[in-house]
Amino acid sequence: MEVLRTAAARVLRLMLLMSDAGEVRPCGSAGPDTISSTCLYAFAAAAANVFASQHRERGRAVAATSFGPTPTIPAIIKFSSEYDEYRGDESRSRGTAESLSFPRNEDEVRAIARSLSAARTPITVQGARTGLAAGAVPQGGHVLNLSHMNRPLGLREEDGRFYLRVQLGLVLSELRKYLAAKAFPTEGWDEASLTAAQRLAEAPEQMFPTDPTETSACLGGMAACNASGARSFRYGAMRGHVTALRLVLANGDVVALRRDEVRARGRHLKLKTEGGSTIEADLPTYQMPHAKNASGYFAEDDMDALDLIIGSDGTLGIITELELALMPAPAVVWAASCFFATEGQAVEATIAARADLKHAAALEYFDPAALDVLRRARAQGSAFAALPLLPERFGCCLYVELQAPAEDEAMADLERLGAIVRAAGGSERDSWVARTAVDRETLRFFRHAVPESVNMLIDERRREEPSITELGSDMSVPDDRLRDVISLYRSTLAEEGLESAAWGHIGNNHLHANVLPRNAEEYARGKALFARWAQDVTAMGGAISAEHGVGKLKRDFLTTMYGSEHVREMARLKLAFDPACQLGRGNLFDAALLDEVRREGAAVPEGANAADAGLDVEDAGLDASGVGPDAADAGPDASSAGPDAAAVGADAAPAPPAAAPADALPKAMNTGEVS
Amino acid sequence: MHIVVCVKAVPSSTEVKMDPVTHTIVRDGRESVVNPFDAAALEVALAIKDERAAAGEGCRVSVLSMGIPATEALLRDGIARGASDALLLSDRAFAGADTLATSYALSCGIRELGSASMGDAAASGASEQRTASSGSAAPGTPEDGTAMPGSSVSGTSEHGESAPGPSLPDLILCGKMAVDGDTAQIGPELAGLFDMPCVTDVRELVAIERGRVTVRHATDAGIELVEVPLPAVLTVAKDIAQPRMPSIAGVRAAAGVPVAVLSAACVQADPARSGLAGSPTQVVRSFVPERSDTCEVLEGSVPQQAARIIALAEEAGL
Repeated sequence: MEVLRTAAARVLRLMLLMSDAGEVRPCGSAGPDTISSTCLYAFAAAAANVFASQHRERGRAVAATSFGPTPTIPAIIKFSSEYDEYRGDESRSRGTAESLSFPRNEDEVRAIARSLSAARTPITVQGARTGLAAGAVPQGGHVLNLSHMNRPLGLREEDGRFYLRVQLGLVLSELRKYLAAKAFPTEGWDEASLTAAQRLAEAPEQMFPTDPTETSACLGGMAACNASGARSFRYGAMRGHVTALRLVLANGDVVALRRDEVRARGRHLKLKTEGGSTIEADLPTYQMPHAKNASGYFAEDDMDALDLIIGSDGTLGIITELELALMPAPAVVWAASCFFATEGQAVEATIAARADLKHAAALEYFDPAALDVLRRARAQGSAFAALPLLPERFGCCLYVELQAPAEDEAMADLERLGAIVRAAGGSERDSWVARTAVDRETLRFFRHAVPESVNMLIDERRREEPSITELGSDMSVPDDRLRDVISLYRSTLAEEGLESAAWGHIGNNHLHANVLPRNAEEYARGKALFARWAQDVTAMGGAISAEHGVGKLKRDFLTTMYGSEHVREMARLKLAFDPACQLGRGNLFDAALLDEVRREGAAVPEGANAADAGLDVEDAGLDASGVGPDAADAGPDASSAGPDAAAVGADAAPAPPAAAPADALPKAMNTGEVS
Repeated sequence: MHIVVCVKAVPSSTEVKMDPVTHTIVRDGRESVVNPFDAAALEVALAIKDERAAAGEGCRVSVLSMGIPATEALLRDGIARGASDALLLSDRAFAGADTLATSYALSCGIRELGSASMGDAAASGASEQRTASSGSAAPGTPEDGTAMPGSSVSGTSEHGESAPGPSLPDLILCGKMAVDGDTAQIGPELAGLFDMPCVTDVRELVAIERGRVTVRHATDAGIELVEVPLPAVLTVAKDIAQPRMPSIAGVRAAAGVPVAVLSAACVQADPARSGLAGSPTQVVRSFVPERSDTCEVLEGSVPQQAARIIALAEEAGL
């Protein structure tokens, strides 16, 4: 052991030399000379990471095979405490699982799915686990973590626009780096993609507009919950920027969808899988709210099949690839944080800005309580001390981002904003304008510091009361109900005497009104209040989740929003894709509802069964022994799910080509405002 | 009180790339920003201005830079944040300047800012736009009470400048260094040119009163409290102050204020002390250190990997 320990100390020095970036750190606390042999793997991994990072920086491909032979059969790992982090996500919910895997490509995903299909093992798909609705939190079974599927796969150019094909685990921040550098890891790309990449390098800077606050979110997760973020005011949600995807079904078969190629006929959808099977189902009959929405399945007459998968919370299939529509980055990006004494002033300024500003990409709000929390955090000397001083007269904040083709147009909009601020009773002097990269970063830091300081506050309270968490809402209403929903939040929070802090996408009438409980009793009352808000927001024509998705945490609100019969329609649709209810267990539906709907003989086509898909489970070559799925808990018995293809209107007339759904079309694409 | 803040435009990206052929920075169309240390210096000046205004006293803050014409936007941004006026020295004659030639050019600009025309323009809220081609009269004459650049007066600094005259600013503020060059020489060189006291790496401005400024600055031995008479040159650390953001009102007001852009001739800069000709520093070669990508990832069982590690260590002579 001593020899090994000495060798470890030596190899640490060696690796530090080899890394030449000094990024390899010992995991032992006492330095290289006392390093334990158990750290050897960590050293090797760290050195490999440095190596990989250096390769990526140079725009060269880093393939899995660069690090030795990649197994064609992915490992299914028995769950142990070593993998504890994969029991939860950013929602801070925790679940349980019996096994997990980290596939690197679609073939491996299919192999795993085929393996698990035999025992109908529940599968929870994970990406970067940044979701806030617990969609990636397992409820038993297998965790399929796709974070290693993080490569761009190809690029195409059509009519002057670029479309990037990516594995779903690619995170947004990496995508942005690639686009800023105009350089991608291109190993394995075909000639057409390489040519398109060369064209992109010569083209104006491109961007992907969907902008959730969390840039470590992966694109697959963003598609699964139809993420949006601040710039959705201008560009809409994720749905409008996805032009194709590949979906692995629970049985390992694949559905490949490209926009405008497969449409529903009215509310009836028929899909062909690559394995030759047919999925045929009725779409839910509800009307989508006229508000930003990520609640349940998207459903419209003659809708594009692609739009159903986006926002389906991992319940229909496993997205493995996405094709993203890029667009030219705006020439000028300015931002202004406008501070008001009262919330009413900020709301009136928002309503005016929505109408008057020509280049607004984002309208965000931070309420007085949120600014107070940030002030306190800043005063305590945290990292937020680097923020500009927030004078007491800065009551609340309206953040406006302008994206314009030229500075004179941005200046004209800034002058209009000044007039709006004055008309609302504010002062143009009480504002921060960001026109340089440094100032934009300051405002970005400010916007991110608000939720972060609230999280710190809650973490502090959790030390005293571990059962509480921040209660964050994600509801939206139509434009004409903005004043009403804010009035609702204020009056009910006052009635309950609950501490709160609100911020978010006020341009879309979508505020994250958060309850900050001080104890378990307040936590319970906060949850009850959210249920009341769900009812009232629904009555206003709004959505119970506008961007986080429903996941497990807002499941009960779906019934509030759509009614129980419509939720059953959604459940029937799920069963058509996932007859054994393996995927995303607990997301959108509780198990009892799915069992009940299945027993009713909901439409479950034979084609969705693994056996009919022509797949050979044994071909996968997986050893599931020791994985330990509990068969009794593995879901309903698919054999009893009676297919009823005849009941789903196969004779319906062909549908005319239909436009993309309203929220699928970014404003800029409609107006041509983006240069 | 008159404060001049010297600023430099630097690349906004921290990931600066070098052209492998020309060995120059690849600007790549990326946005330039004010050197963060200089931005902190401007904030110090604006805080003094605010303090004076609260006490009912006047204070003029001038922003000065030498650079390409596009630098004007950064100076205008300084006005949007609260500066009184700005001057950009922009001329091919300044190109290729090292720190000595740059500080000489800035000294010409500082004299120009102290001239009657610039001072009056700032006082009236507007600056005059003049360039070499416009044929405007050059200010900064000996009648101002300052020596002509390059003139030699006995009993002065090593560069032969006279003692500061009444039109020189009370305070010259610089960042302690620029993030792209890291030389940290401009402030001390300006002090030398004007024969002013200089305090570098200032971490805190304690007081300005009775013609003296008291500061805390970092030294190798620790933080030192220093009092020097005005006029003086201070170079400041980045964290001395958090730069303020411009307001909508400030941006709108600055949009209507012309920034003076002057040539070398306009500020009567001596060609022999300007640009490349005035730069004793010669860059022989600049290059990016090469990195090795060689990396072996160990495979196999733990004993196999351990054996390989030992072999590698022995090969490396460790």
